[in-house]
Amino acid sequence: MKTVIVATTLALGLLSQAAFADTLVVYSAGPKPLAMGLAKEFEAKTGIKVDMFQSTAGKIMARYQAEKANPQVDVMISAAWGDAITLDQAGELAAYASPESANVPAFLKTPTYVAQGAAALTMVYNTKSKMPAPTSWADLTKPEYRDQVTMPDPASSGSALTLMQGLVTKNGDAAWDLFAKLNANGMLVAGANAAALNPVLQGERSVVFGAVDYIAMGQKAKGESIEVIYPTDGTVLAPRPIMILKSSKRQDAAKQFVDFVMSDAGQKLVANVLLLPGRTDIPAKRPGFSELSIIEFDEVAGAANAAADKAKFATIMAK
Amino acid sequence: MYHRLNKSRLAPALWFTSLVTLVIIVGLPMIAIILFAVFPKINELSLTAPFSLLIPNLTDPRLSGAIANSLMLSASVTAVAALTALPLSLLRARMSKRQGQFWDVCFLIPFLIPPYIGSLAWMQLLQRNGFIEQLFGFHAGAMLYSFTGITLVMALNLFPLIYFSASRSLMVIGSRYGDIARVCGANPLSTFFRIDLPLVLPALVSSGLIVFILTIEEFGTPEILGRRFGFEVMVTAVHDKFTNWPVDLAGASVLCCVLILLAFLAYRGQQMIVAVYQTQVDANGFATAEPSTSVLLRLSTVGVFALVAIIAVALPLASVTASAFMDTMSGGLDRDNFSLRNMQTVFAPGSDAINAILTSLSLAIAAALLTALIGFLVAFTLVRLPSRGTAMLDFLSILPNSIPGMAVAVGLILTWNLPFWPVTPYNTLLILLLAYLCLMLPYPIRMLTTALRQLPTSLDHAAYVAGANEITVIRRILAPLLAPVAFAAGFIVFAISTRELVTSLMLSPPGVETVATFVFRQFDQGSMNVGMAMSLLTILLSAVVIGAGQRLAGRTFR
Repeated sequence: MKTVIVATTLALGLLSQAAFADTLVVYSAGPKPLAMGLAKEFEAKTGIKVDMFQSTAGKIMARYQAEKANPQVDVMISAAWGDAITLDQAGELAAYASPESANVPAFLKTPTYVAQGAAALTMVYNTKSKMPAPTSWADLTKPEYRDQVTMPDPASSGSALTLMQGLVTKNGDAAWDLFAKLNANGMLVAGANAAALNPVLQGERSVVFGAVDYIAMGQKAKGESIEVIYPTDGTVLAPRPIMILKSSKRQDAAKQFVDFVMSDAGQKLVANVLLLPGRTDIPAKRPGFSELSIIEFDEVAGAANAAADKAKFATIMAK
Repeated sequence: MYHRLNKSRLAPALWFTSLVTLVIIVGLPMIAIILFAVFPKINELSLTAPFSLLIPNLTDPRLSGAIANSLMLSASVTAVAALTALPLSLLRARMSKRQGQFWDVCFLIPFLIPPYIGSLAWMQLLQRNGFIEQLFGFHAGAMLYSFTGITLVMALNLFPLIYFSASRSLMVIGSRYGDIARVCGANPLSTFFRIDLPLVLPALVSSGLIVFILTIEEFGTPEILGRRFGFEVMVTAVHDKFTNWPVDLAGASVLCCVLILLAFLAYRGQQMIVAVYQTQVDANGFATAEPSTSVLLRLSTVGVFALVAIIAVALPLASVTASAFMDTMSGGLDRDNFSLRNMQTVFAPGSDAINAILTSLSLAIAAALLTALIGFLVAFTLVRLPSRGTAMLDFLSILPNSIPGMAVAVGLILTWNLPFWPVTPYNTLLILLLAYLCLMLPYPIRMLTTALRQLPTSLDHAAYVAGANEITVIRRILAPLLAPVAFAAGFIVFAISTRELVTSLMLSPPGVETVATFVFRQFDQGSMNVGMAMSLLTILLSAVVIGAGQRLAGRTFR
């Protein structure tokens, strides 16, 4: 028994020391190949080791909050702009304007966080279904799409929340009316992005209202019979903020990491996973800023209204 | 027993070891969560605004509906699972050894299928344009996305827990009492109600309690199936607070305290029932039942087992297998759509799959061995060395099952990320092992305490009279007798550990991938079918490990 205790203590000591080595700790939302690629190339370029924890936006925020007694993370990349707004308002982000971010559009950067990349919200259409292809959001209220539409729940998906608020900002009550009609047309609102996309891939339903475009394009590239359709009446971007935590004890390395992610090399990695790079001067491998009709709105104000908007949406959908 | 206890120096030591082990593994993270519910800023080591979140969270109108749904679902799942498991257990007790082992392995498979995979498999089978409709032209989407559907899917996943516990218990009881009853002229029906049922009831109730609490705690199935028809349970509500923007860990902790309370009530209920039916079989009873010789009975036994196995095992497994070999989801069940591409992706150079499998298998084996060992120690302390605080220890041992894995993960972070620990398992693989131990300990403890309660103390007393101490009694008498139960518990722990998802996602040190996190990432942003391929591989591999383990166990202990 004694030897077991001694051995365990030794093992514990060794393992924990390994974890305390001086490395940069980054928490990133998916996709994994991007997170891993950024970490690897940054290590090769600077010699600074990166401990990359990749998960969903919700889980990295939960981990960050739970760790506050002894903060571990230096840099976070979220998939939800709202996360950055919350942390910024709580005064937990360090200010840094990377020289590499000069070509990021003004609405995608603030003194404390900047969009590493962005996705656009689209309609995804199963080409094997015998429906006509939709062209605008409002098309999906037509009778031929009865019980054929899915939408990610704004309560679970930050990007769906952005879309809902963007449409409401642009169209006011007409947007709420659109959601009421979609609900009357049997639209399924269930879970996060994958829960909305999978039924369409499997042919149980035909169209996603508000899918994350780069994920769907990735599926199409793998041979799925789907089309990504940008609605003619405009869409919103779901920008992905990169931010340095004030609690980080490795501010210099953290700044270097942000510089790298926003550099030509880093932005090309972003483009490779079919995301829209944050910098407008980096060519996208998908429809870029100029080809999208983007609804811009004040996301900070949106964040303040989020709880009320989500509740209103839920009430409409419950009818 | 009491004389013995007073004189023994070992008894306090065993008590102390059990208590410390349980407190470290289970108690600390639970206390952290309860403290978090009371002090919403404790994650920043601040005690400001105590109790400020209790009222707003507890008066949330969504809460009462979620509690009602959770209780209703758990009660129905437990009832369906028990009604499925009980006849199977009775038949199992009359089987030949070889045949029994075959079905046992078969019914372990539902455990190996993670609930979220199982739910997705059923969706692919039954939904509109699902596999069944593609093959036979009808679908059952409306049934699947309903209370009935979710109850059946969960019960099919969980009934083996009751089956294993009840059939083991019936084997320990043996058939002598039933034979005596028959000799005295009882018909099979009254033998069942007067002899078998009361004797098997403690096992039934205590494993039923686990199923009840597991259903309350289960996340995957309500998340996947329940969301489709707006059915919210406690755990999905808690999970929303844990991971939906804006993250509200303290509010989620408040809801976890409600879950702990529910678990406590269920636990008290179980104790009251067991107290009435507390039984000990006498020492000569464990000769297992003679395999039945009636051809009719044997044929119908095979029929019943095969039917349950087809529904609970073969159908979901077939669905997973089909997906694993389909190139695209939209391609459907088309000859051209089948290939080995997903398997190749899993094994492609640079894929983390093999490391993930190795990580999961080693963690699961370590968890199985350690929980069986600790479970044995705790069971012995609880049953044979009862003293004040036994009930506390006992309840502590079931707590982790009552709250969502997400809460266990947050509790572990709060506990082990504190700046003052000189060394900490956090951010190493050990934190995952600790999480698995915390989540899995209830199984061996439940199963072993139940079995031990039914073992007569006369053998122990004989040994003590002959001068043995507790360690000798455990090693020479109880361990050999309880080994089959310990092994069964170990296999369950192994099976569940290989696919544990939620804590793995939260606690994996940077760069570490387990099977479940690999699969989850494929589902989230990759290819669902690659995820299914990986799941299939893991299910098969775990089945092989369990099969080999059972053979080994059979050779060592029989």
